[in-house]
Amino acid sequence: MNTRANGNTNDLLALKDLMPQRQRRIAKAPATALGTPPMKELTGRLHPHRQYLKIDSIKNETKTTKTFRLVPDMVKGTKRLAVFRAGQYLSVKADVNGVRITRPYSISSCPKEARDDGFYEITIRKIPGGFLTAYVWENWKEGHTVEVSGPEGFFYYEALRDARHVVGLAGGSGITPFRSMIKDIMENDLDMQLTLLYGTRFADDIIFGQELENFASRVPEKVSVHYICSEPDATWKGPTGFLTKECIQEFVGDVRDKSFFISGPPAMYLFLEKELEGFNLPKKRIRREACGEVKDIETYTDFPKELSHKTFKIAVNMAEGAQEIPAKAAETVLVAIERAGLTPPSKCRSGECGFCRSRLVSGEIYVRPQDDGRRLADRQFGYFHPCSSYPVSDLSIEVPRDL
Amino acid sequence: MPEYDAVVIGAGNGGLSAGAQLAVSSVKVLVLEQHNLPGGFATSFVRGRFEFEATLHELANVGSKENKGGIRRLLEDGLGAKVDFVPVPEAFRLIISDEGLDVSMPFGVDAYLDAIEEAVPGSRSSVAEYLELCKEATVGIGHLFKSKGHIDETVLKSEYPKFLKCAGYSYEEVTSRLGLPDRARKILDAYWLYLAVPPSRMAFSVYGAMLYTFLIHGAHVPRFRSHELSVAMEKRIRECGGAVEFNTRVDKILVENGRVVGVETAQGDRISTNHVICNASPTLAYNYLVHPKTEVPEVAYKNVNARTEGVGSFVVYLGLDASPEELGLSEYSYVIHDHMDLERLYASLTNLFNPQLQACICLNAAIPDCSPPGTTLLSLTGVYQLGVWEAVKPENYVTVKRKVAEQFIDKFEKAMKTNVRDHIEEIEIATPQTFFRYTGAYKGSTYGYELETWDSIIPRIVAMEEEQYIKGVRFAGGSAFLGPGYNSTLSGGRAAAIQTLKDMEGDK
Repeated sequence: MNTRANGNTNDLLALKDLMPQRQRRIAKAPATALGTPPMKELTGRLHPHRQYLKIDSIKNETKTTKTFRLVPDMVKGTKRLAVFRAGQYLSVKADVNGVRITRPYSISSCPKEARDDGFYEITIRKIPGGFLTAYVWENWKEGHTVEVSGPEGFFYYEALRDARHVVGLAGGSGITPFRSMIKDIMENDLDMQLTLLYGTRFADDIIFGQELENFASRVPEKVSVHYICSEPDATWKGPTGFLTKECIQEFVGDVRDKSFFISGPPAMYLFLEKELEGFNLPKKRIRREACGEVKDIETYTDFPKELSHKTFKIAVNMAEGAQEIPAKAAETVLVAIERAGLTPPSKCRSGECGFCRSRLVSGEIYVRPQDDGRRLADRQFGYFHPCSSYPVSDLSIEVPRDL
Repeated sequence: MPEYDAVVIGAGNGGLSAGAQLAVSSVKVLVLEQHNLPGGFATSFVRGRFEFEATLHELANVGSKENKGGIRRLLEDGLGAKVDFVPVPEAFRLIISDEGLDVSMPFGVDAYLDAIEEAVPGSRSSVAEYLELCKEATVGIGHLFKSKGHIDETVLKSEYPKFLKCAGYSYEEVTSRLGLPDRARKILDAYWLYLAVPPSRMAFSVYGAMLYTFLIHGAHVPRFRSHELSVAMEKRIRECGGAVEFNTRVDKILVENGRVVGVETAQGDRISTNHVICNASPTLAYNYLVHPKTEVPEVAYKNVNARTEGVGSFVVYLGLDASPEELGLSEYSYVIHDHMDLERLYASLTNLFNPQLQACICLNAAIPDCSPPGTTLLSLTGVYQLGVWEAVKPENYVTVKRKVAEQFIDKFEKAMKTNVRDHIEEIEIATPQTFFRYTGAYKGSTYGYELETWDSIIPRIVAMEEEQYIKGVRFAGGSAFLGPGYNSTLSGGRAAAIQTLKDMEGDK
C-alpha cells in the first residue's frame, strides 16, 4: 500500500465522503412510484392461488364417470388459465351443505388446450356414498361456477430425471393424468414414449377406452394402450387378469431403462409395489401419483386397530376461533376439521404438498409412512399434515387460516 | 380492533429474529406471514425421499459451542432458540476452468494464508496484508455499529487506522493497491457470488468482513436444513407470548401524520399498532404497502430509486441415487467459474443461457445422513439480474428452466469429471420467479440492494435515523441496513427489534 504522509486524512475523507455521495445520489434519483407490482402476472399464469372457472360442457364417459370442461369465469376475475404440466391436478373447492371441502382431480385435458383453447377438463368417477361426488352429480350443470387451485403436483414426465420410455400403470380414475400425457405427446409438446396398462375390474368401467385407442393409433411409435380386465364378461376380447409382474413383462418386454408411473387407488399401489419388486428397479424409476385419502386406514398393518372405532376430541385453534370437535380414529384430522364446518387449508390430501401444515400442540397421531411428507424439523418441533394424519388420542392443534 | 405493541410483517430470517427479540423482551408482538411456513428464503421442501435445503449454503459467524460467534450468541443466549448446528468441513473448492485453477481452501486465517502461498508461491505478504484489512473491516464496522454511525475522527485515526484504509473504498480500489499476484486475488475473490456486486462498485469492507468472519468461525448449517432455524425462532416467539399467523398477507401499513398506526391484512382485518418491523423491502413498503399514498414522502421514493436492486437466484436441486463417494464429491462447497474476471461475470448475469458461474453444495459432506444411504443431495446455484427471468413467457417457462438447468448440470459434470445426469431421482428448479412466489421479495431478488460503496453497511448505519421516513417503521431482511445473507438478516432483525424497543421508550 502507498504510504502517504497524509494517508490517514485522505482515507478519512474517503470515508466521510460516502455520506454526501449518498445524499447526492438520492437527491438526483427520480421520485417516481412503481406501477403494477412486478411478477404478479407471471405468477398468476404459473401459480395462482385460485382460479374461478365455469362448466362449459359435460360428457358422460361411463355410467359412473363424467368429464367436465371448465373455462375461465371472467366475471369472477379469472381471465386466462394457468399453464400446467401433463399429469398435474387441480384442487377443487366446494361448499357441500355448509361443509367446505377440497378434492384433488388430475387434469385430463392437455396443456395446449388450456393455452390455445382456454379450457381444462377434469374427469370424475362417482363414488358410492361419496360426499363430494354426490354433490357434483346433483349440482354441476353447464354454467355452474367452480373454484379451483392453480395446477399442483409432481406426477409429470421430467426429461432430466425419467427414462424417455414411460410405462403407465393405471387403475380406476387414475387413468386421467395419462389422457393428458397422451394428448400432450400427440401435440408434440411432450417428447416421450408411453406404454399404458390400465387394469379394470369390469369392461364397462373403462374410462376413455375407445378414445385413447384412437389416439394411440395416430402415434403408434410413441403411444400404446392396453386394457386388462379382471372380471371380463363374454364379450371381452382383450387380455384378462391383474397387473402382475408377468402381465407387465408381457406388454413391456425389457423393463430396464423405463420409468414406471403409477396412478390409481391406494390398494393398487400396495399390489403393484410387490409385483414391481421382482424387477429390481432403481427407486428413481418408479413414480407414484399422490393417491388422495386412504379410506380403509384400519386395514394397514401398523395402524392401531383396537382404536379404529373410537372417536376422539380435538381442541382446534383457528383464526375463526377455538372449539372442540369430534374426530374418528379412522378418518383424517383434516376431514374432522372440515366436518366441523371450519375451513382449513388443503390441496393434495395425500400428505405430500404440506399446504395443510398445522401445529400439533399435544396428542398422538398415526401417519402411514408412505404418506408422511413432513419436513424433519416439523417432526421435531411438532408440526403435522392433517390430511394424512389420523388421531389416536385426544388432540390439541393449531391450524392456519385458508388462503 | 386487536392491538399489539408491535407487528412484524413477514416471517423471514429478519422478521423472525426481530419478532423473537421483541417477544423475549416482553413486547406484545404479532408476526404476520403471507406464506404457510416460517422462514421466507430459509426453508426446505420434500420430494420423494429427499428433503432439500431451499437457499442456505453456509452460515457465517456461528462458531463452536466453546467459542461462540455472534449468530450462536444471538440465537442461544439472546433468543433462547435451540438449533443443532453442524460445522461445514472446509471453506470451498474453487475451479476456474479457463485457467486450470483447482484449489481446495480451509477455514482459519493462518491455514488460508498457507494454502494460498502453496498455490501461489510468493503471495504471502500481500495476502496477509489483505487479510489484515479484512480483519480491520470486521472490527471497524462493529465499532461504527456500536457508535450508531457516529464517525469520531480522532478515535478512528488512532485506534482504527487500517479500517480507514479500506472503509471508504471500493473492492477494486483497495485490492489494486496491494500488489496481489493475479492467481492469489482469484482465490481471494471466491466468495464473490455471495455479494455479486462488481468490484468497481462493491464496498471492500463488506466483502472483507464476510470473508474474515468465515475464516475465523468457519461455517455451519442447521442439521435439519434452514427450516429448523426458522421453526426454532417461531417457537420462541410463541413461547414468549408472541403470536405468529400464516397465510396472512399484510396489504397495508396504515399511516397517519407520518406515524404508523396499524396494518391491514389481505383478509381486510385491521390491527392497531404504533410499531412495525417490515421484513418486506423499503421498495415494496413505499410503493405498495404504506397507506394512504400521500404519507409516502417524495424522498422515500428517491431513496429506493437511487439504489441498485441486487441479483436473484437460480437453483437446481438434485436428489441423486448414488453416494457422494460414487460421484467423487468429497467437498461441501464448490465454486465453479469459467473465469474470475468479476466485472465480466457480473455483466454475464443478464444472459439467460450459458451461465459462467455457479456455487454448488453437497450437503452430505457436512451431514452424511441428510439423505438415505447411497444417495446425495446436491444443489447448483447461479444468479441473475432481476428481469431476466421475468421476460420468459409462462408457456415457455418449464422448457427454458430445464434448458438452463441442463447447462448448469453439464458445467458441473465437466468441472468435477463426474456423471450426475444418470442418477437424478428427484429434481426441482427454482428461478427468481419461484422465490418471488414464496417470499414476495421484490422481483424475486435474493440480495436486496447492492452493497455498493455509497450504499454499503457503513453509510447505511450512518444514515439510519435520517432515512427513517415513517415514524414507527423499521426494516429487517435482506434489504435492510446489514444487507442480505443469513448472518446479516438474523443480526439485522435483532437490531431492528432493539431500535423498536428504543422507539418505544421514546413514546413514553
